[in-house]
Amino acid sequence: MNAELLTVALLAGLANWAFRVLPTRLRTDRLPGGGWSERFLAATGPAAIATLFTAAILPSLTLDLAQNGPVVVGVLTVVAAYALRPSIVLATLAGAVAHGATVGLLG
Amino acid sequence: MTTQPRFRDGLVASLPIVMGYFPIAFSFGVAATQLGFTAQEGFALSLLIYAGASQFMALVLLTSGAPLILSALTLIAMNLRHVLFGPTLMREAGTDASTRWAWIWAWGLTDEVFVQALGALSKGQRFSESYMFGLGSGAYASWLAGTACGTLIGGGMFEAMPAVAAGLGFMLPALLLALLLSIMSRRQVPVIAVAGCVTLGGTVLAGAATGILAGMLAGAVTGILRR
Repeated sequence: MNAELLTVALLAGLANWAFRVLPTRLRTDRLPGGGWSERFLAATGPAAIATLFTAAILPSLTLDLAQNGPVVVGVLTVVAAYALRPSIVLATLAGAVAHGATVGLLG
Repeated sequence: MTTQPRFRDGLVASLPIVMGYFPIAFSFGVAATQLGFTAQEGFALSLLIYAGASQFMALVLLTSGAPLILSALTLIAMNLRHVLFGPTLMREAGTDASTRWAWIWAWGLTDEVFVQALGALSKGQRFSESYMFGLGSGAYASWLAGTACGTLIGGGMFEAMPAVAAGLGFMLPALLLALLLSIMSRRQVPVIAVAGCVTLGGTVLAGAATGILAGMLAGAVTGILRR
């Protein structure tokens, strides 16, 4: 097995376990809130996901606007599906289906 | 429900998540094999990381030749939001709620499991660790089964079906956008806008790895500076 993959997976998995388990086990909900660390924690997730969404969508976009149809349809479908029912899974699946269908329709 | 919910109740409550997780995990397994990873490697990512967007991103980072430390830090930063799940859930569960076995069941606190558990508590259901075990087990089993099927079937099957391949390929941007919508608040709009713009500029000027790092840092700093 690829050693680099295993190292990255173990590090990310260990961090995930710590993020999910430690605040639950230590009952950090009983601690007083506020401060820069809380603002940092609250901002890092949205910043990381916004960054990665931008990085993931960029390779699909071209300067020829007509070629961007499937991406635009996919993005709008995710937003519409989430607005109708706030479920990450359903919005993801709806966006992927709409994107694939548009690719199929446009040939 | 006023009685203590059991493992079986959690398992039943996980069914909508199970049905949603399976196809996303399946597409992850397909993507892993398409990018040259073995079935065991794809399955190991699901087993060890168990966070959809991070796993797709791991494939991108590992195949793009990004430095190991940058890859690990990027995946860790993506899931930092999970530190808020446990405290939010336990606040709703009450001060006498047990967390004796949280070191096992809280591993399953993904976005969807957290939302499902919080929704049940807000409707008056009592907190129980058995229920959390059931809820998390169904979702995790579905994620692993979907990945296994995707890696075993592989991407070759979809070469003659460009629409299906395109849909599977769009799964990562769609998942990230849905995650972004789920954590969107008026307070986070400047963070998201700065992170997105800096990533765009950084990628165009200096490449994707630099753009990602600069975007994350700029967004986090914006969050700290805002009062």
